[in-house]
Amino acid sequence: MKYIGLILLAWLGINQAGQGIYVCKNAAVSLYSKAPIEDIDAHSDKGTSVLNTTTGDVAFAVPIRSFKFEKSLMREHFNENYLESDKYPQASFKGKLNTIPDVSKDGTYPVTATGLFEVHGVKQNRTIPGKIMVSKGAVSLTSEFMVACKDHKVEIPKLVFHNIAETIRINVSAAYAPYK
Amino acid sequence: MAMLLSAAVAAAQTTRKDTTGKSSTDSLMNALTAPEKGEPVIATFKATRLIFTQTTETVKKKELNFMVIHRFGDIAGSAGGGKTFFGLDNSSDIYIGFEYGLTDNLNIGLGRSKFEQMIDLQLKYYLLHQTTDNSMPVAVSVIGKTGFKPYHVNTNIFDNTLNRFSYFTQAIIARKFSSALSVEVAPSYVANNIEYPFLVGNEKRYFAISAAGRLKFSKRMGIVLDYFHPFSSYRDNSVNPKYYDGLGVGLEIETGGHVFTINFSNAQAISEINYLNNTTSSWGKGQFRLGFTISRIFDFNKKHQSSY
Repeated sequence: MKYIGLILLAWLGINQAGQGIYVCKNAAVSLYSKAPIEDIDAHSDKGTSVLNTTTGDVAFAVPIRSFKFEKSLMREHFNENYLESDKYPQASFKGKLNTIPDVSKDGTYPVTATGLFEVHGVKQNRTIPGKIMVSKGAVSLTSEFMVACKDHKVEIPKLVFHNIAETIRINVSAAYAPYK
Repeated sequence: MAMLLSAAVAAAQTTRKDTTGKSSTDSLMNALTAPEKGEPVIATFKATRLIFTQTTETVKKKELNFMVIHRFGDIAGSAGGGKTFFGLDNSSDIYIGFEYGLTDNLNIGLGRSKFEQMIDLQLKYYLLHQTTDNSMPVAVSVIGKTGFKPYHVNTNIFDNTLNRFSYFTQAIIARKFSSALSVEVAPSYVANNIEYPFLVGNEKRYFAISAAGRLKFSKRMGIVLDYFHPFSSYRDNSVNPKYYDGLGVGLEIETGGHVFTINFSNAQAISEINYLNNTTSSWGKGQFRLGFTISRIFDFNKKHQSSY
């Protein structure tokens, strides 16, 4: 078992120069719900992401508990009632870029990625738009997309006094570092 | 060793070329998202009160919790039945209280009971938070409380203002076993400046214990059970009046910013000092009552500018 680990590490190390693997440990993820009574927004800077510009693989994950809200009760309800973070601790996306931009040249490249988007334990096959930016060799990615609560079995009871939007806007932004 | 490694690497490269991207992305993501250690467990309970007993929860900084707690009259027995509409005509106690978060862990509380017209002032501190990795398996909060009866009653012994002060201190030890089940045990100490009730043989000071729990059966509803027992030989042995342990069962419902508890219990009083001192009503004699708790959180944190 030990050897397999070593081999894998060595193999990753050898491969990375040619493979264009980028990682980000502090991706910013925010969500925004606009409803008649109350607007809710929450932010996390604990997102993680891997981008492989050779294969086009792109992966994102964010711990549900890491979202910070304006009001502590919102955070409690978000974790306890809506996303059940004890059962489903992460939201994630794992997919492939449909077109792989040439990251050796500076520029802004609109991209789409198709893959599995998982929230609240429910996986949805989605194509998500985004932008890959390259500036002086530094690679970053932003994306904005909508998530419908009912697509992920997040129930919003009629009884709750403060309203929550049926569709939540998600913004993601990651500044990558080459994987060494 | 080096040769073995490089040979192995070469082998790995040739045999696994096709799956290279996938497996490296996956293993990298797994490495990056390694679970964080020891985060504090949130929402052990939904509110700061169950039926009798307070919970380990505190209101967060600059939040105000407004509580209305009510106990009706006896449902059955000599004071209950149809003539009092099963106790709904009477109120054995009404408590109106506020709790404010000085910090996330330190609360100041003020409340007033109908029972003995008592005013109580309390400080509560969330001492230890249970952690997700169980390096701290329980949550601990401590309470210090002073109760004052502003009006003298019955005997002239209570004319002396100092004799109308009582003190209460409690450590609440709770564990959230799962999202559904939270249980707490709370040893406490009661000190009255003068024996209350003012009867021969009564102790001024004694220990007591409370135990309570909540089992959720949906995300927003749960069953609450609450029990207390004062370690007082006077209360154990007194025949007239006879004292009873408190037992309450209730339904807890959360609706956004409100938490409601609808309960049945034998204790008449709501404040700890009152119910530990003076519970003389018994389930067995039909002296149990309907009660409810409404708890509403107001947030006084300045709205931060939305970044949108």
